[in-house]
Amino acid sequence: MMAFFQELGATSLFFVRVVRTLFSTQGNFQPILAQIAFVSYRSLSTVLFAGVFVGAILVLQIDLILAKYDAEIFLGGLNTSTVIREVGPLIISFLLAGKIGAFTAAELGTMRVTEQIDAIECLGTNPIHYLVVPRLFGIILSSLILLFLGLLISVGGAMAVAWFACGINTLEFASSIPKFVSVSTFFAALFKALIYGAIVATVSCHRGFTASGGARGVGQAVTQAAIYTNLYILFANFGITHLLDLAEKLTQSALGVSP
Amino acid sequence: MSIRFEQVSKSFGSKRVLDGVSFEVERGEILFILGRSGMGKSVTLKQMIGLLKPDSGHIYVDHQDVTQLDENQLARVRQKCGMVFQHPALLDSLTVYENIAFGLKTVQFIRSAGGALPEEEIKRRVIEKLALVHLGPEILDRLPSELSYGMQKRVSLARTLAPNPSYLLFDEPTTGLDPITTNAVNDLIHDLSRKLQVTSLVVSHDMACALKIADRILVLDHGKILAHTSNELLKLSQEPLIQDFLSETLALLPPEERFDSLAGVRQ
Repeated sequence: MMAFFQELGATSLFFVRVVRTLFSTQGNFQPILAQIAFVSYRSLSTVLFAGVFVGAILVLQIDLILAKYDAEIFLGGLNTSTVIREVGPLIISFLLAGKIGAFTAAELGTMRVTEQIDAIECLGTNPIHYLVVPRLFGIILSSLILLFLGLLISVGGAMAVAWFACGINTLEFASSIPKFVSVSTFFAALFKALIYGAIVATVSCHRGFTASGGARGVGQAVTQAAIYTNLYILFANFGITHLLDLAEKLTQSALGVSP
Repeated sequence: MSIRFEQVSKSFGSKRVLDGVSFEVERGEILFILGRSGMGKSVTLKQMIGLLKPDSGHIYVDHQDVTQLDENQLARVRQKCGMVFQHPALLDSLTVYENIAFGLKTVQFIRSAGGALPEEEIKRRVIEKLALVHLGPEILDRLPSELSYGMQKRVSLARTLAPNPSYLLFDEPTTGLDPITTNAVNDLIHDLSRKLQVTSLVVSHDMACALKIADRILVLDHGKILAHTSNELLKLSQEPLIQDFLSETLALLPPEERFDSLAGVRQ
């Protein structure tokens, strides 16, 4: 438990250092854009593939429960709400942690143990500015793009499965969505994606940047990046969900709407 | 223009790798740092340019205490120093040309040079430095992964030389090189020192090379300086470790050279 919070503290300080570097050095956004393109291109197929199946599996599970109460008319709304609020951001960020997070930790870790990072520093360039800033912000921003596309395909996949496996046509599916999903639901999902993306990016960059001890050290950095990313995402998920629920209840009571 | 270590100590966990080490290197001098593996030789070099901080003591480069400098001030000191690492440490995603030109395009270099160099001048300098390490311009567009280990080490040396540093720090510069290139690198270190007054600190296991080109040799053992003296006086040392180093080196030399090397001892 102690190690968990020590690592959390070190990772948070690393994030502050990267943000400070971004604002204290000359702005060049081209490497960030290149990184967004790289991350999105590398992860798009995985995210879309996972998105379709997340929607499809959930629709089958929810249909089983709703069928018991003759409430299948709500299938579209409930499924879309669950995907957007919770499952979509979580699954997509886990996939990003496995794919881009591990890649980044391994790449930076190898650069550290083969003294490439020291060489960059010796040649008069700040390695945080040159290596970490583009990767960190590239991953955060591309996770927003990937989440948006992943959720879209997930709802599409759910619609298709609802039609041929549950007998709910597209119109029926879509008609219940507004009852469960509002604009604030989308913003909540984007907010979660932003936080989870920041966790994936910061933990993987931090573990890679501070790796030591040759090939074994790089292996450890990648493993620790995967473990800590997933733990922090679950930890953050609990906190954000709790906060968003609280905010929604407060808004509803202020507007005099019963939940 | 000099380097001075004053009572420098450094530990990693419970292991003390440097214990109150003090020495000085004059301008244009070649100092070889010898010792067994894990005795703090590379740590000594890395502390000089602020890649590692000593636990105590002071390190002066041109009368500036690098242990007290912030990142921006350290970047200015690093501008004067070139370091050749144990690994080639070339950036994988950049070509040979981009790697060597890297140090000529940094904000620090542009500031110290009073403006950015034109691309033709950068290319001229890159080819010139490649020639110094016996490589031709035909490899400029290759990636480091397309070169042999020895070629990568030579490109790394060319990259270090490109900004014309006043101090050169070599961490095992000839490990993995063939004998001809090893000699060429040793001659290069010697020429840079004699012709351009470049100060060189060389971490090495190569006693034969140290005896050939060093002005002084410093032997580190268990965090302490065992010897810091000229080549000729080192040959007279009765320290068992130094005797071992010398006998291993002499055993590798052909008989006629062995006789020449022993001349210093007999005098």
